[in-house]
Amino acid sequence: MAVRQTLGSGGLGNTDEGTGGRLATVLVVISLVLFTLSAQEGGSGVLSTIRSGFSVVAMPFEAAGSLVAAPFRGIGNIFVNLTADQETLTELEDENAKLKAENAQLAEEATDAQSLRSLLELQDQYNLESTGANVIAGSTDSWSSTLTIDKGTSSGLTVGMPVCDANGVIGQIIECGPTSSVVRLMSDESSAISAMVQTSRARGTLRGSADGTVYLTTIAVSEDVSVGDMVVTSGLGGVFPKGLPLGTVSSVERPEGAVSYTITVEPITQTTPEQVLVITSITQEQQAAASDDASADTAASTDSATADSSADTQS
Amino acid sequence: MPYATQNPRSRSFVLPLVCAVLQLAIAPQIGLGNGRINFMLILAACMALRSGGRTGVIWGFLAGLFFDLSTTGPIGLMAAELTLCSWVLGRECRNRLSEDRSANLIAFGVADLLVSLGYSLAMLATGNASGFLATVFLRALPTAVLTFVFFLPFLYVLGRPQAGGGGLGGGGMSFGGAKGRHLTIRGL
Repeated sequence: MAVRQTLGSGGLGNTDEGTGGRLATVLVVISLVLFTLSAQEGGSGVLSTIRSGFSVVAMPFEAAGSLVAAPFRGIGNIFVNLTADQETLTELEDENAKLKAENAQLAEEATDAQSLRSLLELQDQYNLESTGANVIAGSTDSWSSTLTIDKGTSSGLTVGMPVCDANGVIGQIIECGPTSSVVRLMSDESSAISAMVQTSRARGTLRGSADGTVYLTTIAVSEDVSVGDMVVTSGLGGVFPKGLPLGTVSSVERPEGAVSYTITVEPITQTTPEQVLVITSITQEQQAAASDDASADTAASTDSATADSSADTQS
Repeated sequence: MPYATQNPRSRSFVLPLVCAVLQLAIAPQIGLGNGRINFMLILAACMALRSGGRTGVIWGFLAGLFFDLSTTGPIGLMAAELTLCSWVLGRECRNRLSEDRSANLIAFGVADLLVSLGYSLAMLATGNASGFLATVFLRALPTAVLTFVFFLPFLYVLGRPQAGGGGLGGGGMSFGGAKGRHLTIRGL
């Protein structure tokens, strides 16, 4: 035994016979079969169940890692705030973010009042049924912008539920294990949230990208959008409650000949939150009404027709 | 004698255990751009360079499967890549870690780059990512660089001549561990 160990560690030999070519072939085939099944399952199936079980085992390690890394998270802020008192800057940033969120909520309520909605509906608008959760980890891989939270199906969470922090929406649950869930952030390139510009009510889709920039797409050039406008959830689709803050417009470009703007949005939440709110259900009033959908469709088709005709005129 | 008092089987699982914990606890916390460290690639490469052959291939497959389960990507993709990677790195069927370190570094660097690029291209092909340049320069390359940097301490520890007697390297790193308990797959 000792002789064998010495040879093994000394580099003179190896007890395995062959290079494992056949075994590698078999395992690659198995991997590709798993890959195919995984792609076909689409979030519900045996492999997803196995992954959920795995997340239960992995959660304590992820939480421990997050705990260990917590003291080092503030290092980045120290360098950014070198020119000012860090405590003051942090307080001002927090206050500014809160005021922006409050401002968005108040403006939303004012707009709804103009639409002759009842006072009772206004009071209920942000009465969200939700549950709190702690963030225990960030993305495990390079391919997604996600967070892992410490609550799952055992707490009543399911895939698709919206997730917010104190400032506004941050993303949506895409995987749900018994004791933990994975939240896809709005900056992920697979993310798409139905949104609208609060002042002009122009509706579009908020999409993430590989470099983390968030874009508001499909806003026709006939709409009125300017830098600094608040972007909120539109409520279309019935997933996100209407009027929750998403971010502010940071740049608006109108490419030559394009029918829609290229709008960059600065997410309302810039840093990774430590606690989040998962919205477990939304009321009928929090969704965009069917009439809103119809009016949005009408507006979109009108805008499209206008844009087409103007393009024709230009050509 | 350490060998007389330590259980070789338990020693064989020290490195996989360390890498698994690091993958779950540390990888999400350290990033370079969008890049994250792939400790499972480090594990697969170490096993392949140290043991090679079937042992390396099996550990490569298991490491890839672990990576796939711990991420939100498709299951089986990294498993296939690390199986191939382990087979290529371990074809010489001998312990290379304590030999020429620069050769090991180059071999790992090439494997690291190819695995990261291969994964990114597969993600592009399956619609899990969009934009070739963004995928390669914002995800694949930072991942490859980070993984390469974090491979260095593993190479240092496992490549020491005395690593055979303890540390992360443990014993012979054979899959079965003790004599007569090696994993055999008949017919392969």
